Amino acid sequence: MIAAKNDSWLALVPAGAKFAVLLLVSIGLYLVGHWQPLAVALLVSIALLLSAKVALRQLLWPLVSLLVIVGIIWVLLGIQTGWEQGAVAALRLLTLCIFAYTVSLSTTFDQMLELFQKVASPLKYLGANPAQISLGLALAVRFIPELKRVYLEVREAQFARGLHNNPLAVAVPLVIRSLRIAEETAEALDARGYDSTTTP
Amino acid sequence: MIKYAQWNVPEGTDPPLLADRKEPTMQASPKAAGQTSSVTVPGIHLEKITVLRAGKVILEDITVSLNEPRIGIIGPNGAGKSTLVRLLNGLVLPNSGTVQVGNFTTARAAKRIRRDVGFVFQNPANQIIMPLVRDDISFGLKNLGLAASERLRKVDQTLEELGIAHLAERESHTLSGGEQQMVALAAVLAMDPRVIIFDEPTTMLDLRNRLRFQKEINGLNQQAIVVTHDLEVLEDFDRVLVVTDGRIGFDGAPGDAVDFYRHWSAQ
Repeated sequence: MIAAKNDSWLALVPAGAKFAVLLLVSIGLYLVGHWQPLAVALLVSIALLLSAKVALRQLLWPLVSLLVIVGIIWVLLGIQTGWEQGAVAALRLLTLCIFAYTVSLSTTFDQMLELFQKVASPLKYLGANPAQISLGLALAVRFIPELKRVYLEVREAQFARGLHNNPLAVAVPLVIRSLRIAEETAEALDARGYDSTTTP
Repeated sequence: MIKYAQWNVPEGTDPPLLADRKEPTMQASPKAAGQTSSVTVPGIHLEKITVLRAGKVILEDITVSLNEPRIGIIGPNGAGKSTLVRLLNGLVLPNSGTVQVGNFTTARAAKRIRRDVGFVFQNPANQIIMPLVRDDISFGLKNLGLAASERLRKVDQTLEELGIAHLAERESHTLSGGEQQMVALAAVLAMDPRVIIFDEPTTMLDLRNRLRFQKEINGLNQQAIVVTHDLEVLEDFDRVLVVTDGRIGFDGAPGDAVDFYRHWSAQ
């Protein structure tokens, strides 16, 4: 999920602070062993999510999937270790995920990349370029759906030619088309003034 | 009528900043409603350009100045059209000859030239870098070193001007072909280039989007150089080059150029 423009109070909090709090909350949740405080934490996380003014429609399917997974975990752990222990694990996971959704949906992708770049900045002493790594991350997120589309097109074309379930027949054109996309994207990066030598 | 200003390029001097220079202004003839009447061009000159790729001659001995507000480039597939326009912002460097844009040559200052010469590619999907439309338009501005608040203002302004403000928060892969092409144009326009090169911009568009995009090109305040197979796009252009077999086979008014191309293709 990528955050849309958000004008809530949480969107104004720096991304670094939000992720730092998320890290601390994650650790804290694992130190709590009773379901009652975890239930309170869950309510707090829901309140935070609502205050973040995120598009609930965007969250609907992820939340439904999450509830199904958490439900399965509760049942399995309930049978194996007891219902209270199952509830502790389920509440912990649910609370953590809702906190994570709240942070990620109130932080733009651009802010996340900038944060990632800062966090990865020590890598420059090892010869790596954090700006390039950050761009690579952005390109991966951007082009995964694009590559999926190309894959479906290639598979459809191969099916139309009678090549059913032939991984090689799909893989070769997929790789060739991916390389072409990579070449064109590299050209676009140059054309749009990206300087690969820049470091933060 | 178009009054063509001369761009005198001083030799042997370090290129000054564009902002310090006085620009020639091309007064284009009034065209259809919404079209620009005054376009400032930096002055582009190609001198004895030859481009080889894998030992094959792609372009040969091309000398031409491109100073009109609207220039079309047509020709058969593989003739060298795309290579020719890629020379103009240094995406391709010539094996011999020089490409001068304003006071800069692509051999020495390609990155600087790219600030002035924007490029809209044939397939906009591969030109959109970031997962979110707003971030993608902001990407080029970030490369220019603009502050976050200025980037935000510029992105909103550009999207508003193009009438696509509703796309700002959309994920790039969910856009239609026409929307992608408009976003690609917005990303280039936001950077305030003085020349925009379009490499077959309407190839992947349906009629409605093609007409819309054509209108946008005609209304630009920038110089536009358009490679196309869509001859109707060229109707109101100032000048059209026909590239055949790596050379400029014809250079003149759109009607004459299209006649030449049709005759040449029928041979």
